[in-house]
Amino acid sequence: MPHVPNDPDVYEVFTQNGVGKTLSHVGSIVSPRPDGAWHLAKETYGRRDDLATLWVVRRADMIVSTGDDRDLLAAKTRMPHRQPGFPTARRRDRSDSSPAADSPLVAGSPALADSPAVDSSAEPRDGALSELRDDASRAADPELRDLWLALADDLFVLGNRLGERIVDYIDLEESLAVGSIGQETLAHAGTILSLCGFDEAAADAWFFDRPQARWRVSRAIERLTDWPSTVACGLVIAAAVVALAERTAETGPGRTGQAAEAGSGGAWLPAIIAIRDEQRVHLDHWRRWARALTAWPETSEEFARAYAEVTERAGDLFGAGPQGVTAGVLPSAPVPAATLHERLAALVGDSGGPASRLPGRPLTRTAGMGGSALAYCLSRGRMVRDDYAPGVFR
Amino acid sequence: MPMATAAGHRCYELWDPMPDEVREGARRFATVQALNELVGVLPFAEWLDRAPSHTRRQMLMAKIQDEVGHGHVAARVAEDLGMPRERILLDYLEGRAKVHNIFHYSFGTWEELGPGLLLMNSAAIVQFQSLMKGVYLPYARALRKIEREESFHYQHALDLTHEVLTHGDAEQRRRVQEGFELWMPRVLAYLGPPDTDTLHANRMWQIGLKPDGNDALRQAWLNKIIPVFRKLGVHVDPALVRQAASGEWEFAMPDWAEVKKVIAGGGPASQRRLDWVRHALDRNTRYRRALREVS
Repeated sequence: MPHVPNDPDVYEVFTQNGVGKTLSHVGSIVSPRPDGAWHLAKETYGRRDDLATLWVVRRADMIVSTGDDRDLLAAKTRMPHRQPGFPTARRRDRSDSSPAADSPLVAGSPALADSPAVDSSAEPRDGALSELRDDASRAADPELRDLWLALADDLFVLGNRLGERIVDYIDLEESLAVGSIGQETLAHAGTILSLCGFDEAAADAWFFDRPQARWRVSRAIERLTDWPSTVACGLVIAAAVVALAERTAETGPGRTGQAAEAGSGGAWLPAIIAIRDEQRVHLDHWRRWARALTAWPETSEEFARAYAEVTERAGDLFGAGPQGVTAGVLPSAPVPAATLHERLAALVGDSGGPASRLPGRPLTRTAGMGGSALAYCLSRGRMVRDDYAPGVFR
Repeated sequence: MPMATAAGHRCYELWDPMPDEVREGARRFATVQALNELVGVLPFAEWLDRAPSHTRRQMLMAKIQDEVGHGHVAARVAEDLGMPRERILLDYLEGRAKVHNIFHYSFGTWEELGPGLLLMNSAAIVQFQSLMKGVYLPYARALRKIEREESFHYQHALDLTHEVLTHGDAEQRRRVQEGFELWMPRVLAYLGPPDTDTLHANRMWQIGLKPDGNDALRQAWLNKIIPVFRKLGVHVDPALVRQAASGEWEFAMPDWAEVKKVIAGGGPASQRRLDWVRHALDRNTRYRRALREVS
C-alpha cells in the first residue's frame, strides 16, 4: 500500500525549465517554515537555469508508492487489453492462424461438450448430487478447481454489471472505479478459466453459449440489481475470492501431486496472487461504500435490507460440487469448505456495515440459479453472437 | 509570467495572469468537451452487454471507462477555471448546453458500430491534435493524455470493423458498408461549418485557443481516414466523398439547417440521451450524498 511519509520539515522540489516542458523532481531540502522552503529550493535548484515553474511540496503531504505497489501499478501487465497494440496483435495472430479467412467455420470454436477442458459425462450427475446434499458441509471437501470455476461464474456476471454502471454517474470518481473493478473482475473470470485449461474459444462458449440451467452462480447474483445490492454483491464476492485465493496460495507449488509437475506451479501461483491483491482492493472499495450507505440516514435502511438479502443468499459461495472440468494447471486438491466459509464470514463481518445474515455453514450451490439478473445478462450477451456463424468472434 | 510560444501566442498556466477571454474560452472548451465525453459515451455503452466475446467486452469496457475518464479530466480543467462539475450535466439537462450532432443518434446494429466508431475516433483524434496546440496549457496536457487513449480506441474500432468484414457473411458485410455511408455525413458535419473565409475573424482563433479551422481539420481527417476504409474493402462512393485532382477532398455538403435542428434536440436519440442522464442522476442522488457526507 502507498504510504504517507512523515518528516514535517522535508520538502520535495520540482522544477520546469520552460513552458510546455515536463515538471521534474530534482531533489529535496529541509526547512522549518514553508516560505523558507521555497526560497531555499530556489537558491538550491534554481541557481543556473531560468525556471518556468518551481514547485515545493511538503513530503508529509505526499502519497508515495512503495515497492510493494509495483504489481498494482504495472498497467501493461495487468490490463493488456487497454493497449493500442492489443487489437492489432490479435488481428495479426488470427490471420496467421486461420488462412481460410472466408470460411470462419474452419476456425470455429469447439462445441462445449467437445472441448478438451470439459468432461461432459459429469453433467448428468449434477441434479442427482444436489438432491443428495442439502448442505455442502455434510459432503466431502470440494475441489479447489470446482470452487474457482463456480466463482468465475459470479465474477463474469458481476463484472458485466459493473461495466454498465460506468455511465451511471454516481460521481465521476465512482464511474472510474467501477470501470476498473469491472474490467479486473471480468479479467479474473477469464484467468480462472484459462487456469482450468480453457482456451479463448472454449472460454467464450462457457460464458456465452451455456444455458442458464448449467450456470452455477451463487444465489447472491439474483439480487444483483440496484446500487445497494451491487455494493453488497461486490463485497461478498470480493471477500470470497480473497479467501479462496489466500487458501490457494497457501497450497503452494510442490505441495500437491499435480503442482509438483514441472512448470505448473509457476503458471498458476502468480496469477492467483495477482487476483488476490486486486480483489483485496475491490473489497476495500465495497467496504467503504458499505460504511457510507450504513452511516447515511437516507440510505441506511435500504442498504441494510439489500445487505441482508445478499448475505443470506451468499452462503453457497463455497458450496460448489463437481463442475465436470478436469484439465488445467490449478492444483487438484480438496479444500475444507467450512474453513473457507469461516474466513468469508470474518471478511464480510468486518465491513463496518449492517449485520450480515451469512448462514453459519456453507450451503450447496445449485445449477440454474441467478434468476432474472442472470437471464438478462445471458440473453443480452447472445443477441449479436446468435446472428453469426460459430467462431467469428474472439 | 506567461511566456511566448512558437505560434506567437503567450501560453498560460492556471495561476498565470491571463486575459478574461482566454480564461473564459478555455473554461468553455473544457466544459464542452467534458459534457460531450460524458454523453457521447452513451451510444456505445448501450452495446456493452451485447459485445459478443469476453475479450471484446474487455476492450469495449476499457473504451467506455476511458471516455468517462476523459470527461473527468476535462471537467477537472473546467473546475479549476470556475465551472462547478455538477453544473456540466445540469446545464445539459436544463437546455443550457448541447452535445455534438453525432451523439444524437444510436447505433442500429453491431455492424454499424465499427465504421461509426472508426469515423468518430479518427475525427476526434485530428481535432484533439489541433486543440492541444492551444495556449491554455492545463487543457493541452489533458488533451495529450486523452490522445494517447484515443489511439487505443482507434485500433479497437479498426479491429471491430475488420472482424465483421473478414469473418461475417455477405449481409453483415453489407451492413458495415451501410454504416459507413450513414455515419460519414454525420461526422463531416461534426467538424463544423465551413470557416476558411471567417476563421481569422474568430476570436478563439485570434487568442490561440482554436489553432486550426474546421475546413483544414476536415481535409486532414479525410486524408487520414478514407485510405483506411478503402484498405478495409469499404466502397467510398464519389457522391459522398471524392478527391479532386488538386488533392483537395470534396464531399456532399451537410445540410446545416438539419444539423442545427439535430443539435437543438431534434435527433432520433436526443430525448433518449437526456432521459438516461436525468434518470441516472435522479436514482443515484442519495448514494452520491452518502458518499460525500460520510467519507
